[in-house]
Amino acid sequence: MSRKGPAFALIVLFVMLSLCLVACSKKGASNTKESAKGFVPRLDTNTSCSVSVAGHYSNFEALEAEFNRFEQYYPNVRMTYVYMDGYSKSGSKILSTALAGSEAPDIFFTYPYMYDWVDGKEIASASENLADPALGIDLSCIRSALLRKEQNGSILSVPVYTTTYGMMVNEEIFEKEKLSVPRTYSELISVCEALKKAGYENPIMGYSRGSDLLYPLFYPYFCAQIMGDQKALDDLNGMKPGAGEYMRDAMKLTADFMSQGFINLEECAKLANNYEAVILRFFEGDVPMMLASGNTVSGTEKREAKSEAFTAHPFKYSFHPVPSTDQGGYFINSISVGFGVNKNSKNLDMANEFMRFLVSTGELNLMAKAKRMVTPCVEMSLDSVYAPFQNLDDKRFINQSDLGLEDRPASQVSKAGLQVALGNMTVDEAVAAFGSIQ
Amino acid sequence: MKRILMILGNVMIVTIILVLVLVYVNAEQKRILASQTESFENMTIAMENVTTNYLVGEQQVCNTWANYINANSLTAEQAIGFVRDSITSPEIMAHILVAGDSEVSGLSTTARPQSPDDYSVSYENVSLYSHGFDGLLSEEAMVNVTRTFTNPVNARQSIAFCNSITLRDSKTDAPVSAVLLRIVPVSSFEKKWAFPTDQYNDAEISLIDTAGDYIIKGYSFKNSNFFEFFQSYNSPSSSVMESLRKEIAGNPGVVEINDSTGRKNLVAHARIDSTDDWIILSMIPMDELGHIQTNWELVGIVSAGLLVILAFNLLIILSFNRRLKAAVAAADKANQAKTEFLSTMSHDIRTPMNAITGLTAIAGKNLEDTAAVKENLRKINLASNHLLTLINDILDISKVESGKLNLSPVTFSIVECAENLVNISQPMVKEKNIDFNFRISRFEHEYLYADQLRLNQIYINILSNAIKYTEPGGQVNVEMREEAGSSEKTIRLTYIVSDTGMGMSPEFMARMYQPFSRQTDSRVNTIQGTGLGLAITKQMIELMNGSIDCQSELGKGTTFTVILELPVAEKQLEEMRLPQMRVLLADDDPVTLETAGDTLRSLGAEVDTATSGAEAVGKVTVEHDYRVVILDWKMPDMDGLEVARRIRAEVGDDVPILLISAYDWSDMEEITEKAGVNGFISKPLFRSTLFAKLNEILGNESTRSDQEDDADIAGARILVAEDNDINWEIISMLLQMHGVETERAENGKLAVERIERSEEGEFNLVFMDIQMPVMNGIEATKRIRSLDKPWQSRIPIIAMTADAFSENIAECLAAGMNGHIAKPVDMKLVIKEIKRIKEERQ
Repeated sequence: MSRKGPAFALIVLFVMLSLCLVACSKKGASNTKESAKGFVPRLDTNTSCSVSVAGHYSNFEALEAEFNRFEQYYPNVRMTYVYMDGYSKSGSKILSTALAGSEAPDIFFTYPYMYDWVDGKEIASASENLADPALGIDLSCIRSALLRKEQNGSILSVPVYTTTYGMMVNEEIFEKEKLSVPRTYSELISVCEALKKAGYENPIMGYSRGSDLLYPLFYPYFCAQIMGDQKALDDLNGMKPGAGEYMRDAMKLTADFMSQGFINLEECAKLANNYEAVILRFFEGDVPMMLASGNTVSGTEKREAKSEAFTAHPFKYSFHPVPSTDQGGYFINSISVGFGVNKNSKNLDMANEFMRFLVSTGELNLMAKAKRMVTPCVEMSLDSVYAPFQNLDDKRFINQSDLGLEDRPASQVSKAGLQVALGNMTVDEAVAAFGSIQ
Repeated sequence: MKRILMILGNVMIVTIILVLVLVYVNAEQKRILASQTESFENMTIAMENVTTNYLVGEQQVCNTWANYINANSLTAEQAIGFVRDSITSPEIMAHILVAGDSEVSGLSTTARPQSPDDYSVSYENVSLYSHGFDGLLSEEAMVNVTRTFTNPVNARQSIAFCNSITLRDSKTDAPVSAVLLRIVPVSSFEKKWAFPTDQYNDAEISLIDTAGDYIIKGYSFKNSNFFEFFQSYNSPSSSVMESLRKEIAGNPGVVEINDSTGRKNLVAHARIDSTDDWIILSMIPMDELGHIQTNWELVGIVSAGLLVILAFNLLIILSFNRRLKAAVAAADKANQAKTEFLSTMSHDIRTPMNAITGLTAIAGKNLEDTAAVKENLRKINLASNHLLTLINDILDISKVESGKLNLSPVTFSIVECAENLVNISQPMVKEKNIDFNFRISRFEHEYLYADQLRLNQIYINILSNAIKYTEPGGQVNVEMREEAGSSEKTIRLTYIVSDTGMGMSPEFMARMYQPFSRQTDSRVNTIQGTGLGLAITKQMIELMNGSIDCQSELGKGTTFTVILELPVAEKQLEEMRLPQMRVLLADDDPVTLETAGDTLRSLGAEVDTATSGAEAVGKVTVEHDYRVVILDWKMPDMDGLEVARRIRAEVGDDVPILLISAYDWSDMEEITEKAGVNGFISKPLFRSTLFAKLNEILGNESTRSDQEDDADIAGARILVAEDNDINWEIISMLLQMHGVETERAENGKLAVERIERSEEGEFNLVFMDIQMPVMNGIEATKRIRSLDKPWQSRIPIIAMTADAFSENIAECLAAGMNGHIAKPVDMKLVIKEIKRIKEERQ
């Protein structure tokens, strides 16, 4: 052995023991700061206060993860998420009541249509202008079309999630049946036929109790048809009696698809809600395609473990645009959830500071991925389950905000589609009933 | 490899100790944790009791209201009015609800904040009633309380205590089934329902139902459902989930879970007995529990201490190893030197042995040629002496090595010592024609007390080396002087020997005092030597607390200086005074003139000096009153013999002439006598020597009487235990020559028996061989020493053996012997021993 041997052994021993001591003394330093690189706190980091976020999600794990990251900078701030009954119901007035009460939330969920509610003005008047440069919130990271500006130029809400419509595809079935996921309407028909022949009773399903049954098929198609047609938009938004004609083709598409007999309405009616029930049914593994929105997709990862069938036989699945034309489907993007700040909050500064932290490409993309939602950021980073949407041509990307269609005509189109799909109305009846469909 | 094992062994020991410390700490931590877990669990159970009491209390208020309403058959307005009047806290609210066809609605004790006059309330958007009233009102439960819901009137998160009531329809008076809710905001409930913070700072509590849905949610409890929370941050299998559900729904206990930050937490759970399916959960970070008692600083200090000890030990061991390595190298070197020495010794012993055996054979074949035999015997004697020197050196170095070289001080004459040096060196000086000068300064003290033999050995060794290593025609100078010692009883004796010999290299000088070292030189190989002389000399000098110094230059010569501080013997010469006389001293050496002149003057003589032969002749011719003329033999202009002749020619034979010489004059006596020289005096000119010689030559009686007489040993009787016939013959003959009677015992046993039979005074001494058949000398001595009769057991016994090493001597003395004489025997030593014994006996 060389003379360096003992010295080397000593050094190795000291290094090993030093590492052991370091390992004993500190259990993993923070590794979450990396994601928020660039965020520099503007307030005293020793500030002690509570900030609550109210919304309609019964469970918001992705936001709680953001709380944890924010608390790395402000360890004495307690961020809480509060679920409120009836929050998303337009007539509940629960948000305006809460904002006027003694336990008003500091930050709250917003929806584009919220300000049209009966208490919409109260909500708006209690909302902070997030475009105020003094707040330092970087709104440039958000796709501009998603930012709703008030007449005075203020922005009362920042979108945090957007959504789209499509179909969840059980890739294992397609692989097993040696089929390709349909990219055109005719392929959709032929694939459904093939699956039917292969013994799949329900080649395609969707939630039928609400207005969503064939919504992912006809609504993007309808939007694509009126896109850029200002007269159509004016007529529709004006709820003019003849405006129902603008949805005729979409209704015909609905009626045509229903006439193929691929959708079993009885089976669809068993789906109790458009979220967990739809997901768990899809996880049963015998439904090749399930029509759904991005909101529904957001719950899939969490439900994988909840589904005994999926746990027993997991399979690969993805979310695809529904091919409503022979040129393919559409990626219609609309705001799912936004955040507003209660300008009367006792902890307004900290609430705004949290918004400043959250509204960044990194944090919003992270939160979108965590919940399998579509990010509102300019730089989109979609979860792998959305991969098929990324292959779409830009021309087939429709931004709901760019479209300019208001909620009431949109709702009429949705209801008309459902009635046609359920066979309660013919295409003509639906077109004629535009504006009065319940 | 051994070093690696040693280091690994040390590291392993330290590691094991550290592991044991950690295991102990861990065990202690677990014990504390178990204790604290139990305490935490008990606290949770206590909280359950508090909760139950609170819930039961609230329920009782609700029940009281319901009983009053039911007993008095109130309408909805009357009932709500009654309840409104009964409420004392602004935090509390009550609702009376009636289930309609499509919605549940009713009246509130408090109006909406935006509509102060509107007391209506609708639960359309509250999922609390999705399953109707039945889910709220359980007959079995003591308390009917809802989960947390958003109060539709003030949007506060609240819980409600329920009871069924029967109202009277204000229009028809028909009974109407309704539900009374006593609504308590969660924030208000939480204020009354908190963990004792002094003990558990970070503890948080939640209430869940058996499905895991939060009724009240603590801050660190995430998700909307506890089991979902567990699933999100703990990645459990379905079986783990199932067992967790059972565990939580069962008896009080604890489970470990990771929270949303990855921190490990302990969750204690207990069912609320008063409700149908409520469970209280209290959660605390595990490190908060474990951290309370663990002294990590102590663990750190112990670990650091062990590391320091390890590092220190390793450094020490490495240092030892280096020294051991050096020692091994030195031992190897010494061993190698010994091997080389043995090889040399073998050669050196065989050389004289060859001479002895060869010359003996030659002498045996030429017995008739007396001259040749004589010459052979002379040469055999020379070879024998050399062989004996070799053996003595070995014996000495053995003593040196074992540290048993002891001094035996005796009173001796430094004059004799110097004379002995001159005499011993004469043959070689003469043979090599070396210019030999021996100078002494004035000696005040002739008798000193020291180990004469060792002193002689030192001086002879140095002088003989100088002569040996000086080539023919070279010069050797000896200077011996007495200086004042550190006390009156000592003198400082300086002995300087310088030569013009081959000198020594610096490399050799660095190791010349090491045993078995000899200068490597082609000329040295022709010179006899053991390589032990200087080593022995230095050891002896150091033993005498003296110093030796050497200055040497290769090819130019060497000077050794030995300085010893020796005690002066009590015995000194009696006062030496010469009658008044004039003495002429002639020598070309001014030092001799000065020192010898001083010596003569101290004896009372008047000294006249001459630095050449001619001057001496001139002075004698002019001055006629010189009683003695002392001439140096070797003078440059005219040697001492010629000066003597001329003096005789000028002044006749009246003046005694003494010739000074450092050379042996025995074969010159005829020539010097013819030249008119009356006597010789050898250099160095000691005071006593001059005094004795002048007295002798002037016919005065010598005052010195210190000559030893060997005659007093005659008549002694000695028992010689000797198994070897030749050795017996030699010793008996030699002793007989000194008048000593001897008797032989062929072995130890016979010696013991002979002593046992002896009469008192029959033997004076026993010479005991050691290695003998039947019984060896050691055993025999022990037997003799154990005899009963004192004159037998105390008889002096001297070992006479060829076992001459120090350990042999020690063994002999330990067995009870009185002395040791090594073979071959030196008769002088034998006689000395006999005298010593005799003196001791007297």
